Amino acid sequence: MKTIAVIFGGRSTEHDVSIITAIASVIKPLELTKQYKVEAVYIAKDGSWYWDDKLKDIKLYQSGEIDDFMRRAPKVHLLFDNGLTLVKSSQFAGRKMYRKIDIVFPAMHGTHGEDGELMGLLEMANVPYVGCNFRVSAVAMDKVLAKKICASSDILSTPWTWFYSSQLSQPKQAMTKIADLKYPLFVKPAHLGSSIGISRVQTEAELMNALEVAAHYDDKIIVEQEVPNVIEVTLPIIGNEELIPALLERPMTKPEDFFDFDTKYMQGGKKGKGSGKAGAQGYSEIPAKLPKELYDKAEKTASAVYRALGCSGIARVDLLIDSKTGEVYFNEVNPLPGGLYAHNWRKAGISNVDLVTKLIGLAEQKWQAKQKLTTSFSTSYLKQF
Amino acid sequence: MLKSLVYMYRLRFAQTIIYMLQATEYDVKTYLGWLWRVKDFEKVSYRRSLIKTRRSSMLLLAIKLGMLVQFVVAIAWATLAIKNKEPNGIFAVDLFLSTPLVWSHLVVLPLVLARWFWVQPLNRVDVGRSKKSFEKHQAIKIAVAGSYGKTTMKEILYTVLSSDSKKVAATPANKNVAISHAQFAKQLEGDEDILIIEFGEGAPGDVAAFCRTVKPSIGIICGLAPAHLDKYKTLQAAGEDIFSLADYLGHKNIYVNGESEALKSFLKPGHQLYDGRQAAGWAIKAAKSSINGLSFEMTKAGKSLKIKSQLIGEHQIGPLALAAALADKLGLTKEQIEKGISRVESFEHRMQPRQVDGAYIIDDTYNGNIDGMLAGLKLLKSLPAKRRIYVTPGLVDQGAESAKIHRRLGEAIAGSDADLVVLMKHSVTDDIVAGIKQGKFKGELKIEKDPLNFYTNLDQFVAAGDLVLMQNDWPDNYN
Repeated sequence: MKTIAVIFGGRSTEHDVSIITAIASVIKPLELTKQYKVEAVYIAKDGSWYWDDKLKDIKLYQSGEIDDFMRRAPKVHLLFDNGLTLVKSSQFAGRKMYRKIDIVFPAMHGTHGEDGELMGLLEMANVPYVGCNFRVSAVAMDKVLAKKICASSDILSTPWTWFYSSQLSQPKQAMTKIADLKYPLFVKPAHLGSSIGISRVQTEAELMNALEVAAHYDDKIIVEQEVPNVIEVTLPIIGNEELIPALLERPMTKPEDFFDFDTKYMQGGKKGKGSGKAGAQGYSEIPAKLPKELYDKAEKTASAVYRALGCSGIARVDLLIDSKTGEVYFNEVNPLPGGLYAHNWRKAGISNVDLVTKLIGLAEQKWQAKQKLTTSFSTSYLKQF
Repeated sequence: MLKSLVYMYRLRFAQTIIYMLQATEYDVKTYLGWLWRVKDFEKVSYRRSLIKTRRSSMLLLAIKLGMLVQFVVAIAWATLAIKNKEPNGIFAVDLFLSTPLVWSHLVVLPLVLARWFWVQPLNRVDVGRSKKSFEKHQAIKIAVAGSYGKTTMKEILYTVLSSDSKKVAATPANKNVAISHAQFAKQLEGDEDILIIEFGEGAPGDVAAFCRTVKPSIGIICGLAPAHLDKYKTLQAAGEDIFSLADYLGHKNIYVNGESEALKSFLKPGHQLYDGRQAAGWAIKAAKSSINGLSFEMTKAGKSLKIKSQLIGEHQIGPLALAAALADKLGLTKEQIEKGISRVESFEHRMQPRQVDGAYIIDDTYNGNIDGMLAGLKLLKSLPAKRRIYVTPGLVDQGAESAKIHRRLGEAIAGSDADLVVLMKHSVTDDIVAGIKQGKFKGELKIEKDPLNFYTNLDQFVAAGDLVLMQNDWPDNYN
């Protein structure tokens, strides 16, 4: 039986979302397959790593007992031994516990996880892992780089600009860059997901405040022009070479109620109303009711984005559609969508258990392909030294 | 093994014992049968847990106190034995070790005593009174009997016949023994036009006795399959008991399910059949079946009825048609009948469909007979689906025919076009698997050892386009 480490939590504003993704959408279906031994690896907000079966229980986090657990539990060490091994103290007679990991399932969102840092570590360990590789993750999580790459592949984006947060010390310079854009605008931290730190501004007076909010979260800010007559859609995709799209999903919000963190995760997807249980899926239209031609165009655009960025395993592509002109714009990519967007996959005919099983298969396929690459080259350089 | 032994000396053991008494409906013989059969008391409650009632709480308290007292006495005796070397120390050990054995048996004593000296005498009085009550009551009395399908037939009849022109009463849920009939009689108001009474056979002579008490004027026999064979010994004996309803009615006004093979040898002139093609002289045509329900047309001597029902499965056409035919016979109008049929909703755990994220799950977990299982498999094959999933633990109470019946079930599963078959691991699993292999099943077969976990997490295994049929449940007392 193969051992899978599910890594979640992390030093990110999306730490709590990651816990839900890991426990509900990854660990549970993985265990139900009865094909894998699943190890829960939790990264605390301070960056410490823990590994324990108790970490699979959501009540540990809900009750706040996680703090008590972390005070008592030994931290995890990583051993790179032509693969990855988790090591921790058994807390008995100085003995250590080892667990060799066959596959890693990252369930991290946002910084220090989804952005490629974790994937870089896993590449170093040469262990198969689920999802996009570290390069793609880093690019996908940088909205500026992602837009630049998509533009080079002739994928449209709404007019946009960007600058470093430090440039806000000279507001005039920043404002000059924005001057060409038409209000309303969206101001976003360039690296964050789950809609954290995003503001929609309608006037120049609101702009500075929005920039400061974004700068509070990130060192890079992106400002985008709002798409008129907008239909916001998102498409989860899985695959390495051959892509399997889920269903185009339309979050049912008005432009003024753009899909912020609260709407997505705290209010059942519905501002001020939802039960808080359903998450984004509680207030989405799946599949999005669009004319077939427009639906196909959006699906094609999302696949083009996935390929242009070099995604593998899983990613979710967000698009903006001008319903009057039928133009489809690339918005952003999530290399690890919250909850894997399992609600969408179920409607597309892929169960939670099948989804994680497929993702594990894709991870192994990607890793095996990588093993065929030559990583050494014999030279006489050292002899000549 | 050791863990299981230690468990017997924990207070949770008392809870397990009372849970099983409750699960066997406080039937001492069934409970003792389980008690002497069970190997691991720690692994007993897979399906449910103890429900707190006055009776269960009192028994639980009694057994806990009893065990505690015996433990204390054993320890005290052992202490004395060690100190004084007078009392026999081995007795203390015996006393201690025998505690679970003693109290798991002693707990039935109050039940036996209460049954002999309180419940049974009172029941006899109540049944006697109900006989007079039924005798006086002017309503048309419809008796519904058979090894299976009774409750569904009764509920269909109740819904269809209840109208603005008829006041109808029916025995509740699956309450179908003499004392249930007596309690039902107590609640009657006297002005009912129609009474529908379910007859549940349990031992030879039961149905004949119910007839003498209730005095039905119309009888319906829904099916015959192995059940209660501990009392009846043979299917023939069970059939004879059920057909004592026909004998009572002089073989008139008796309607028999024509789709139950086992009933055919009991048919006599005067018995009227109901099935997917006919019901009490009505011809059935243009039948359509889907996950959303059934529709068909009925015609008889210039009359016609257009039936639309939410019930699923072609095997429901016969019961629905019979209800419509009886409603016509009892004077309901075409509109009343068609409206009544459309009101019939699926019954809990009986071919009850529900949707989960675009997947259809048909809950047929109350189905406990081979005819019903075969009807379900036919339905599974007939409905469109991206992926067909069939889930069952098999059937309990099938007597000496069990192996043969389960191999037949396996063959039917193989022929159902199921993509995935999940069998809950039980004593009959090997027989089902043998049948599945015999039928050259091409799909995926899974044997699940933790049924509760599977049922609880079913939503994790299904997606849009899936059609899941779950048939029968395996009560814990059969483990």
